[in-house]
Amino acid sequence: MNDPTPTPALELRGIDKSFGAVRALSEVNFTIRSSEVVAIVGDNAAGKSTLAKIIAGVITPDAGIIESEGVPVTIPTPASAHALGIATVFQELALCDNLDVVSNLFLGRELRRGRHMDEAAMEEIARKILRDLTSRIPSVRTLLSSLSGGQRQSVAIARTLLGNPRIVVLDEPTASLSVAQTAEVLTHIERLRELGHAVVLISHNMTDVRSVADRIEVLRHGRNNGSFPGHSTSYEEIIAAITGAVDFSTPHR
Amino acid sequence: MTIDRSTPGSQTSLREANRARIVDAVKRFGGLTQIELAEATGLSTATISTIVKELLGAGVVDTRPTSRSGRRALKVTLARRLGLVAGIQFGHRHLKVVLGDLGRTIVAEQHMPLPLDHRVDTGLDRAALLVVDLLDQVGASMDELLTVGLALPAPVDTSTGMISVRGVMRGWDDLHIGQTMSKRLGRTVVVDNDANLGVLAEHELGAGRGYRDTIFVRASYTTGAGIMLGGHVHRGYAGAAGEIGHIQVDPTGDICRCGNRGCLDTVVSSTALLDLVRSSHGDLTLRDLIARAIEGDPGCRRVIADAGDRIGSVVAQVVNTLNPRRVVVGGELAAAGEVLIGPLREAVLRHTAPNMIAPVEVVAGELGAEAEVMGALTLALQSAEVATDHRTISTLTDESSAGRPDRPPAP
Repeated sequence: MNDPTPTPALELRGIDKSFGAVRALSEVNFTIRSSEVVAIVGDNAAGKSTLAKIIAGVITPDAGIIESEGVPVTIPTPASAHALGIATVFQELALCDNLDVVSNLFLGRELRRGRHMDEAAMEEIARKILRDLTSRIPSVRTLLSSLSGGQRQSVAIARTLLGNPRIVVLDEPTASLSVAQTAEVLTHIERLRELGHAVVLISHNMTDVRSVADRIEVLRHGRNNGSFPGHSTSYEEIIAAITGAVDFSTPHR
Repeated sequence: MTIDRSTPGSQTSLREANRARIVDAVKRFGGLTQIELAEATGLSTATISTIVKELLGAGVVDTRPTSRSGRRALKVTLARRLGLVAGIQFGHRHLKVVLGDLGRTIVAEQHMPLPLDHRVDTGLDRAALLVVDLLDQVGASMDELLTVGLALPAPVDTSTGMISVRGVMRGWDDLHIGQTMSKRLGRTVVVDNDANLGVLAEHELGAGRGYRDTIFVRASYTTGAGIMLGGHVHRGYAGAAGEIGHIQVDPTGDICRCGNRGCLDTVVSSTALLDLVRSSHGDLTLRDLIARAIEGDPGCRRVIADAGDRIGSVVAQVVNTLNPRRVVVGGELAAAGEVLIGPLREAVLRHTAPNMIAPVEVVAGELGAEAEVMGALTLALQSAEVATDHRTISTLTDESSAGRPDRPPAP
């Protein structure tokens, strides 16, 4: 615990990815440790979501090394990401409006007792996870359709926590949310960090990013363009790196 | 309060005055049992009981059963339908917004992490939207919001609602914060320093209750103090009283945000404390440091204990000057409990002249992280024009009791 540089929960080195003629990522490096919130920021098409999808196992890189807890791994499918303890909440939350909170959390992995679903146990776990997140969803039997955007986001985050992942990837979690809902999601992220999870936060919003991130990684045109401590970097420095006013990219390319 | 229509000394005027006294006391303490009300107002329990019944009928107060030292009692609070007040606290790294009823019970709250050196426009905007959202959450309309209290981690000139020392909050210097927020919410917004509000809340509801001379030390990202003298918050001429973070402790020390050298804040601010653990523990946040100290990490405990000692030696000088009965310790660092407060207490006692009659007590705050918002609610409530004016109340009581044959006999 006192080791200032523990083994990274996940490390990506020299990641390349091209879609036809489009070079989405080029020699990108990325590291995250447990109890750490790392934000990936950048302009549109800077490669943020591509990097997130590689971590989530949705797409595979053309080149590069991925290490989990210091062990080289590949993440060919979302299932293998899940097996490595990586859970992702994409911008489209993939929740079912016509089901309640519990059913959404356990969709496809329902707990059973004999031939029936163990509703009581599922409710119990759902309540515990939402409480851990300090979520303010009144009842776990509420239908998703009656929840606010922020509450849906917390259901989506809670859903990832069911498998007790080491790493949680959040893709634009505060996009199109009201201030109160944003406040709720940011508080969840603080909680996730305190619970010991590593959180990868992809966002456009500099205020949100600087509020919760320990480290901010800037991507520009598919390359790393600077890494900043989240608790002591100004807006201006980060914006400069995003827009390319300052060039922090590694010289060897 | 004492604009009497009726002849002074008459039965009616006496009863009206008593009503006002009772409502005043309830407003001041949030909620009181009838026996406590009798103690607070000096009225007999029979009078209290009669007037409370009248006020209840008029919808000015609510009562609910409770127990006081094991005996059944009736707790009196101001009726919620009279309105809500909002409390806003800006910290260095978070924003907290609460809604309270007139009994200062928090009915809704929202916490929001903020970035370092958060911007004033974004901050005020978010705070205003959160107030509206919370009102919505409790099913209240904007009309029910009476006033707003706002706490800032900087000295505030309460008459203008502006920060009175430049550079303490970057970018917040030139704005009339109270006025800007008032315009946005259409309500009176009173602004004060967070430590001043802390002492106000601890005095009325927490560890300072019953003590007229109290100092509230707020050990947080920066350090400040709120001073209560003779039951009144002492803010100083322009609100800069109690800025103990800017008392010099090291003439050869670092330059402080305020422009001076070697201020207490340069050695016990979050930046200074986190620098101390960077090589051994890596990059921590203040919350991490406190959490690890509570878990028992020796390095983190040491850092906080030493900070307690440094703060204590400065507080001792304030104690020597003002002779308070109690020093109440609050702020984020106080969550570390005796790790901080033990050394702080020792330092205070070591550096103050021993008082034979009543040595100063150094205790943890009772309101914890709620102290500042509770203070903001209290201040908002004080500035709210609640129907404590006896004329309004008597109108209310007369109207409602007119149709009530079972009106209790006047005392």
